[in-house]
Amino acid sequence: MASKTAAKDIITLRGSAAIVSEFFGYAANSILYNRAVYPEESFARVKKYGLPMLLTKDEGVKSFISNLNAQLSEWLEAGKLQRVVLVIMSMNTGEVLERWNFSIETDNEVVEKGVSREKSDKEIMREIQAIMRQIASSITYLPCLDEQCVFDVLAYTDTDVAVPFTWMESSDAKLIANPQMVKLHSFDTKIHKVNTLVSYKNDEEELDDEE
Amino acid sequence: MMLRTPVPKRARPIEPAPIIESPPTGSDHHRQLAIYEDPPSADPARREPSHEPLQQSEHMLCTYQCRQMVKADFLDALSNAEKQVQDYQSQLAELSDNFRKADEERKTFREKLSYAEQELAAAKGREQALHDQLLKEVNDSHERLKKELESSAKLQTKLENEQNLRKKAESTAASAEDKARELEAKLGHISQSIEKEKKQLNNELVHLKRDSKFSISKITVDLEKMEFRAQSSEKEVELLRKQQEDLQSKFSQVLSLHIDHDIVKFNRCSPDHLILPDCLFIQDYTMLVFGLWSEKSLRSLSSGKKCLIALCLYCPMDFLFQCLHQKSELEKKLTSLSFEDDSPKESDILVKHLQEELRNYESEVREARKLKSAHENIELIKEKLLEEKSRRERAELQLPKLHEYEFKINELEDELSAWKLMIQDIPGVSCRDDIRLRISALQKEVIDNLKKLGDVNAHLKQMEVILDKTQLDKQKTETEAVLAKEKADRLEAEVKRMNVMLSAVSEERNVLKTAIEDFKSKNEQAGGNASSSIMQIQELGSSILEREPYIKELEGDLFAQKEINAHQRDEIKSLHDRLNSEARRVKSLERENDRLRSEIFLLESKIGHGDFSAANTKVLRMVNTLAVGNDAKQTIEALQSELQRTKEKLQALEEYKSQSGNSGKMVDSYMSGKVAQLKEQIATLEKREERYKTVFADRISVFRRACCELFGYKIVMDERQRPNGIPVTRFTLQSIYAMNDDEKLEFEYESGNTNIVENSYTSTSEISQQVDIFVRKMNSIPAFTANLTVESFNRRTLS
Repeated sequence: MASKTAAKDIITLRGSAAIVSEFFGYAANSILYNRAVYPEESFARVKKYGLPMLLTKDEGVKSFISNLNAQLSEWLEAGKLQRVVLVIMSMNTGEVLERWNFSIETDNEVVEKGVSREKSDKEIMREIQAIMRQIASSITYLPCLDEQCVFDVLAYTDTDVAVPFTWMESSDAKLIANPQMVKLHSFDTKIHKVNTLVSYKNDEEELDDEE
Repeated sequence: MMLRTPVPKRARPIEPAPIIESPPTGSDHHRQLAIYEDPPSADPARREPSHEPLQQSEHMLCTYQCRQMVKADFLDALSNAEKQVQDYQSQLAELSDNFRKADEERKTFREKLSYAEQELAAAKGREQALHDQLLKEVNDSHERLKKELESSAKLQTKLENEQNLRKKAESTAASAEDKARELEAKLGHISQSIEKEKKQLNNELVHLKRDSKFSISKITVDLEKMEFRAQSSEKEVELLRKQQEDLQSKFSQVLSLHIDHDIVKFNRCSPDHLILPDCLFIQDYTMLVFGLWSEKSLRSLSSGKKCLIALCLYCPMDFLFQCLHQKSELEKKLTSLSFEDDSPKESDILVKHLQEELRNYESEVREARKLKSAHENIELIKEKLLEEKSRRERAELQLPKLHEYEFKINELEDELSAWKLMIQDIPGVSCRDDIRLRISALQKEVIDNLKKLGDVNAHLKQMEVILDKTQLDKQKTETEAVLAKEKADRLEAEVKRMNVMLSAVSEERNVLKTAIEDFKSKNEQAGGNASSSIMQIQELGSSILEREPYIKELEGDLFAQKEINAHQRDEIKSLHDRLNSEARRVKSLERENDRLRSEIFLLESKIGHGDFSAANTKVLRMVNTLAVGNDAKQTIEALQSELQRTKEKLQALEEYKSQSGNSGKMVDSYMSGKVAQLKEQIATLEKREERYKTVFADRISVFRRACCELFGYKIVMDERQRPNGIPVTRFTLQSIYAMNDDEKLEFEYESGNTNIVENSYTSTSEISQQVDIFVRKMNSIPAFTANLTVESFNRRTLS
């Protein structure tokens, strides 16, 4: 884990993987809350990244996300994870409405040689905070989800990754046809760089179809 | 001015003086004036003294006329010269104006040239930049096209693989269906066999109960008999003891009297040599040896024995051995001899006892046989248990296969959904067959785009050639501009020279004017200086003559300059045209650039919205999703509980086996324990049957649901009986795309043959046509159902 030195903090591969997987857990919870996938009363308020964050109290969702984070951390330490996508779909029709895309760029030198990098923890926190703020403010431009929705998580990995027992290879990447895309901020631990992008179904097409 | 003095004239004959005709007035400046020289009186230094006095008077008249004539001529010449000067001045002015215009035009052309050069340089720079951009874009589009081609090839291979997988999955599904049917049939058979076994076991139970009751009654009877026998034996023992005592007393008496060492020897022979099947006879023999028989004891013996005894008592050893041999033979006959009722009471009782014992033994033998049969039944039951165990193990082995089949079905469903999404993503594709056509169309588009790229490259090359040409033209124009500059410099020099000449001419004109004025003044005054005026006129004429070649040169230069200017104007026009054409080309290139940029943006958006290359990336998702986990957990828990129950059953059966191995020890406990175990076995078998039924019902329901989703039909299976008693299985199919509940298809399955049953839905014209075509003519029910599915789907989507 990151240990504080006088000026900058040393970031190891394991520490960076933990930071990224933790970020994804909080980001997923924030998205589920802001997009009203689960009711508000099923979330509890905690303090993280200098912001009041909301975490789900539902045991099923909690265990799902915790198992997911454990696996993502493992893949991140191996340098095999390329992208994580949180998909929001309609429960009735199964149509994909939103795709929250977290693409990850890994420094292969760290993975191969096991070296460490230096970056201030505060700087990383600040960058993550900016992304969380953007996720919270995304409701201003994202279309309203009027119907009941469910979520799923896809992991884009290298082809030589062994598929764990609780995972399966999926040929369906759950894409959106003609999406609108909004690029959010990114954060960098000097070992893993995470870029965030949200693509959503163009609401104007529905209005045109209705017309 | 040089004044030409004529040669002094000699005295002439009486010839009149030559009349110098005055030249006609006009502008012919090529005429030459014959200047008459004044008489020598005017110039005393030159005149000759001999001829002067005679000619003076004549000369005086002639000179006046000549002077007048000369004056007129001179004036005419002056006017002509003035006119010429004016003409030259006007021409000079025109030339200067032309030169000014030419200079201005040169300047404007220079500016235009410089502007054109700048534009050319800018256009060249832009073209170079566009060229570079186009090259980059072409290379990028080449790479993208290659990647797209590779991806399309991979997609094709994936298509083929997935088609093969689908075929395999269909075949596995069909085999799974067959296996499920077989399993169902086996289940039915097993259930029937279990029922039969139940019945048999119940019957056996009943029989065993009866047998046990019977055996119990027999045992009680045996017990009574044994008691009775014991009592009788006790009584006999008492009697025998009394007899023995009597005999002993008698024997002691006889021994002392009659018995010799041979009888002792005979007594030493072991009774083993004698065949004595009966212990009573042994007793009798000993009594014979050691005492005298009582009458009662003798009576109790059989006749054969009595004979032997009598023989033994009253005969020697050899005869005793013969008697023993006969005795043995008689004993063998005992079993076939019937008891002679010499003594009605005790022998009857003994006979009865023996008969009863025989009956008991017979009954025991029967019981033993029955036990043997029961044991065989038990062994049969054990074998059946083993068979059921093996069936259970097979079913358990097939359970993971079912899991695998379910997993494969889920995978196939996911792949089908992915293919459906792909079909939705690809415009113009509605079914699987259209994918190939669409891919071929896409490939054609790719080829067309490649062709267009080739055309664009050709255009680019043409543009490069044109650029080279324009550069060459530019170089030419530069050289021409340099030449024009040089010419302009020359023209300037000439203009300067012309100006100088003009100034000189103007000075000369001024001089001439002043001379003319002087001449006029002089003429007005006396007219005496004719020679000086003539000399001046001559000088003017000579100067004019001298200027004429210059003027000719100037005119030639002007003409050449005009031609050069016209040529330059033509070149500038051509350059303008080229510039315009190149500007148009630049605009077209910019339009193409914009189009390519938009295409690049589209491709980037496609890449950015989630597409990936299967060569480097694979997409994984968690199986234990929230929507599915509960069902899976329940099924897993149910299966685990079933496993535990079957294990308990196995343990109970093994205990039953171990208990059945010790069945020969205690009859009562064995029978009761056997009954309890059989009851437990029946209970476990019933429970197992119920569990198998539930498990298979679940699996069958899952399988039915999967079949419904995969093939689009809800299948309901019924077993009916025809009026003739033959059982028939009826399948009712309802499409998931049916508009109402009446749209049902009915099929009858009998011994491997499937026939469609007519109903209200199939009797409609559309369906009946399809039935005729697909079922009756082509003999393919899957084709009929598939066609019906597609039609109802199209109807649904269109509605």
